[in-house]
Amino acid sequence: MNFANTPSFANQGLQPGSRLLLCVLASLALLVGDSQYGLMEKARDAVSVVLYPLQRAANVPLNLAMQAGDYFTAQAALKHENDALRERDLVQSSHLMRMSALEKELQQLRRVNALAAQPSYAGVVAEVLYTGRDPFSYRLIIDKGSDSGIASGQAVIDENGLIGQVTRVQPLSAEVTQVINRNFTVPVMIERTGHRALLYGFGGGVEVRYLPISTDIRENDLLVTSGIDGVYLQGIPVARVKQIDRLGGAAFARVRSEAIAGVQSSRFVVIMPNRHPPLAAIPAPPAAASKSDKKSP
Amino acid sequence: MNYDRPQELLKPVKRRFITLTFVIALMLELLPLPQGSNRWLPDFVALLILYWSLNQPRRIGIGMAFGIGLLADVVSTSMFGQHALAYSVGAYLILLRQQQLVMFNLGQQALVILVLMLLMQLLMAIARWSLGATLPGLGYFLPALIGALLWPLLTKLMLLPYRRERH
Repeated sequence: MNFANTPSFANQGLQPGSRLLLCVLASLALLVGDSQYGLMEKARDAVSVVLYPLQRAANVPLNLAMQAGDYFTAQAALKHENDALRERDLVQSSHLMRMSALEKELQQLRRVNALAAQPSYAGVVAEVLYTGRDPFSYRLIIDKGSDSGIASGQAVIDENGLIGQVTRVQPLSAEVTQVINRNFTVPVMIERTGHRALLYGFGGGVEVRYLPISTDIRENDLLVTSGIDGVYLQGIPVARVKQIDRLGGAAFARVRSEAIAGVQSSRFVVIMPNRHPPLAAIPAPPAAASKSDKKSP
Repeated sequence: MNYDRPQELLKPVKRRFITLTFVIALMLELLPLPQGSNRWLPDFVALLILYWSLNQPRRIGIGMAFGIGLLADVVSTSMFGQHALAYSVGAYLILLRQQQLVMFNLGQQALVILVLMLLMQLLMAIARWSLGATLPGLGYFLPALIGALLWPLLTKLMLLPYRRERH
C-alpha cells in the first residue's frame, strides 16, 4: 500500500537535513567544476545523447504542423514565391558567374605573387532544434553535432548575417552561442570606411566599444566581420549602427547597434568550416607552472 | 464536489505515472517555442518536483529532485548543478512541513508554492550571478507567479487518473 501520509517506521537512511547538505555540496561542486574548469563536458555529452530522442519527439508536432501548412498553401502563393525565387536566382547566378571568374583571377594573381592559395568554403546546413530556456545566456541547439564534423569554434550564419559561434559540440547536436550573448566579441569593420573595431554582445544586444570619438561612423553603417581573427571569414554582415552618442567628456563614442541576422528567429542556419586547421594541442606545462594558469577560461 | 482534499480515498499512484509526468515536463522544455516564451512559461519540472514531494514524499525526495535537476540543467543549456541545487532545496523545504502543507486547501498551497518557486529562481540567479552572468530583470520572476497560479489546475489534473469511480 502506498498512501501518501502513512509514516514509515523503517530505517530511512540519512536525515533530510544531511541529505540536503550532501545535495547542495554536490551541486555547488558541479557548478564550480562546470563553469571554471569545464570538467562536466563528458557527462553533458552522455546526457544529451540520452535526451536526443526526446528532443526529436518534441519537434514532431511542429514539423507535422508545418507540413500540413505547406500542404494547404494556396497555389497563388506558391506561384508568387516561385517567381520571386526565380528572379533572385537569376540575379544571384549572374553574381556567381562574375565571382567565379574573379576567384580564378585571384588564384592566378596569388600564384604569380607566390601567396598561399585560399581554400574555398562550403558550409553545413543545420536546423535549430530549440533555444535554451536559460534566461542568463543566449544559445541555440542545432541538430548537427560531431557526427557531421562540427567542431567548436566554427562560425554560424543565416541568410542575413552572422548568428554566432559553435561553443559546445555533442555527438548528435551542438550548442551555438549567439552574438548577443554577454561578452561575445567579434572583430568587425565599418563596411563604408574599412575602419576596424570590436563588437561586444551585452546580453540581448550588441554594441561597439572603444571607438574614438573622432571615428568616421554614421547611423545605418553596416558592420561586417573584418576577418583578421582567424575565425570568421571576411565580410559577413553582423550589425547595423542605430544610434551614436558622442558625449563631451568621454574618450569613446557610444555606438548602439542592432544585430541583423535573425539571431532570435532563424530556423535554418549554416555552419562555416574553420578557417585554419586546428592548432596542435598545447604541450603540458611543467608541473610548477600548471597551477598559475589554471583559471584561464 | 471537492476532490482536492487528501481525505478522499485515491487509488495508489504508480511509479510509471510519476515518470511519465516528468518526461512530459522535460519535453515541454524542449519544444521549439518562439524565443520570448520563456519570459512567461513556468518551469513545469520545478512545479512537478514540488507537487510530487508534497503528495508522494516517499517517492520523490531530495535525492530524486537533485537527479532530475541535473537532467533539467542539460535540457535548458544552463550550468551543471544550477537546477539541481534549486530543486533539492525546494524539495527539502516541502518535506520539512509536508504533513501540514498536504492538509492546506489549494489556495493556501498555491501561496506556499509561489514563495518556493520565487526562492528557487532566486537561488539560480544568485548561483549564476556569482559565476559571472548578468542579473536578469524583475521579469525573470514572472514565470514563478504564473506557475503558482497554475497550481490548483495542475493538482486537479494530476488527481484525475486516480479518482475512484463514484458508486
